[in-house]
Amino acid sequence: MATAIFEQLINGTMMGSIYVLMALGMVLIYGVMHVLNFAHGVLFMTGGYLTHLFFFNLTGSYPLAIVLSILTLALIGVVLEGVIFRPLRDNLRMQIVASVGLILIIQNGVIQLWGPRALQMRTSSVSSLVKVGQLSFTMQHFVIIAVVVSAVTALYLFLTFTRLGTAMRATSQHPEAAIVVGINPNRIYALTFMIACALAGLGGALLGPLFLIFPQMGDAPMLKALSAIVIGGMGSIPGAIVGGFGIGVVESLSTLVIPSDYRDTIVFAILILMLLLRPWGLFGVRVRGEH
Amino acid sequence: MRKLVLSAALATALFTQTAHAQEVVTVGIVTAQTGPLAAAGKFQMNGFNLAVEQINKTGFDVAGKNYKLALKVYDTHCSTSEGASAMQRLISVDQVSVVLGELCSPVVSAEAPLAQDEKVPLVITVPTAVNLTEQNNPYLFRINAHNGQLTKALVDYILSADAQPLAFIAWNNDAGRGGVNGVKALLPKDYKLGYVGYFNVGEVDFSSHITNIRNSGAKSVMLLMDEEPGALAIRQIRDAGLKVQFIGTLAMGSDRFLKTLSAAYLDGMVQYSAFPPNAPIERIKNFNEAYRAKFNEESHGFAAQSYDAVFAVVEAMKKAGKVKGGAAIRDGLSAVSFDGVIGKISFDNKGQASPPVYITEWCHDGTRKVIFPKEMSAACGGG
Repeated sequence: MATAIFEQLINGTMMGSIYVLMALGMVLIYGVMHVLNFAHGVLFMTGGYLTHLFFFNLTGSYPLAIVLSILTLALIGVVLEGVIFRPLRDNLRMQIVASVGLILIIQNGVIQLWGPRALQMRTSSVSSLVKVGQLSFTMQHFVIIAVVVSAVTALYLFLTFTRLGTAMRATSQHPEAAIVVGINPNRIYALTFMIACALAGLGGALLGPLFLIFPQMGDAPMLKALSAIVIGGMGSIPGAIVGGFGIGVVESLSTLVIPSDYRDTIVFAILILMLLLRPWGLFGVRVRGEH
Repeated sequence: MRKLVLSAALATALFTQTAHAQEVVTVGIVTAQTGPLAAAGKFQMNGFNLAVEQINKTGFDVAGKNYKLALKVYDTHCSTSEGASAMQRLISVDQVSVVLGELCSPVVSAEAPLAQDEKVPLVITVPTAVNLTEQNNPYLFRINAHNGQLTKALVDYILSADAQPLAFIAWNNDAGRGGVNGVKALLPKDYKLGYVGYFNVGEVDFSSHITNIRNSGAKSVMLLMDEEPGALAIRQIRDAGLKVQFIGTLAMGSDRFLKTLSAAYLDGMVQYSAFPPNAPIERIKNFNEAYRAKFNEESHGFAAQSYDAVFAVVEAMKKAGKVKGGAAIRDGLSAVSFDGVIGKISFDNKGQASPPVYITEWCHDGTRKVIFPKEMSAACGGG
């Protein structure tokens, strides 16, 4: 049983890392702009496809393909914010409708461009195996965990110690006061979308080679990330991190005692319980009106 | 004046002849062209399109008239609501007299009652849930073998092999659960089973199943799923260091499947097959060549089954003596009997055909051999 728990801890941490990347992007957008971007899953998927494109057609190098994919997603983020979300800024419902519309447009666009069949991308990190006793993991498992820990650290440092990061936090906390001290909110919103999309792209670029790259590959991570930010506390970055890792580990370990097809049930049951008992989440701030 | 009259008469005659030659019968198609099962839907459409292209070269004669076929295709996304809506639209708006296709067993459950209510036959070509043709619906026909027929052949193999304890990973739907139950029902009561796990369409992480398979001490794992999850499951199981015997479905016995993995991953794996594309059987060879010429890839069981369904409908129309009228075509379908690509095509009183089922095994060099039925067995390269 100890072997099984260890195996599932590694698998859960790896998947949790992916949820963290997604959740951080969503929580940044929600925290700064108060928009729930449901299209985050398809941006994650686009990251997978772009990495495949750059890897096989341009660079031949996986790390370089990831960097190009992240940069492209960052650019896509700026465009999406400027063209779609900025004009709809004061209309939350329309923003949600627009993000749902984006899912259909991007998913079907990808099917038109790449076809409906899943793509494979066997990088050396996926082919290399790491033996731990009788267990064996792909190197990519550990690459994902290491890259996500680095990305989260870099984001923390950026938000805490740079002027732009401080400006982002200021805009998130009090947009009017931020304007008074000379912060241009449009720049901050564009920057927020850029970082969030880049994180989604990184997630797709990391997970795609391990599994498959296909049009729906972002659907489940998006739902889990959404659960992570609700459980962690809407708008809370530590909450997104704890929520993401927590969901990954809990869903993996739960399959040792309950049937695997009930794995999602556990996650969403926790989500509903949290909404009922502590709607402001683990790290969120209780606001007047919430019970 | 006489010349003018003659010219007009000739022109009228020619026009009438042309109009007759171009009479078109529209057949409805319901399938998934987008969504998680779009890849499987493509094989289905390839089979339909190849059959229509071949039939339309000369057309087909019914009651002295020559007809061509056209397809009206709706994408059901493998969704029950979309399937029911597409079926209703084909019947009431497009007014087709017969509908073919569908990939997903649950969607058939939504479409079949409409077929019965509106008296428009539905001929399914891929779904394998056993219960579909057990509903006393005289307007539902299935050309492919169902899970019970497929698994019977596989269970015969399992019983002859050293496969205990046997574990399962299966789709969490009618096809997957029906498949698991079908195998269990055919195994002796004292047969040792290992872990049984289900996954939802679109899931790609099999790590929890792998841990449970390892814990259960299974010697063999049956994978009741399609190509893409199948390739993922096999790769993840082997990468996790599990040395189990793989037992797969017809989706896993193709060159396309080999390309998603490698010969080393597949060596020794067995799977049932409704259609071994390289079998040294004339009807299969001919179809495979025509398919490869049109689509530049090895043919697929879904395509072969769908191809035969179009010919079954044409035969039914010939038997009915008319190309319109769902009830007449239904009666025609009940009476068809011909040699298709997948084998003898005729339907029993439940609307179920009984094509042969093969067991193929992957060889170390990436080819396949037929190991069952014995009389059709073929060496590596013939599966």
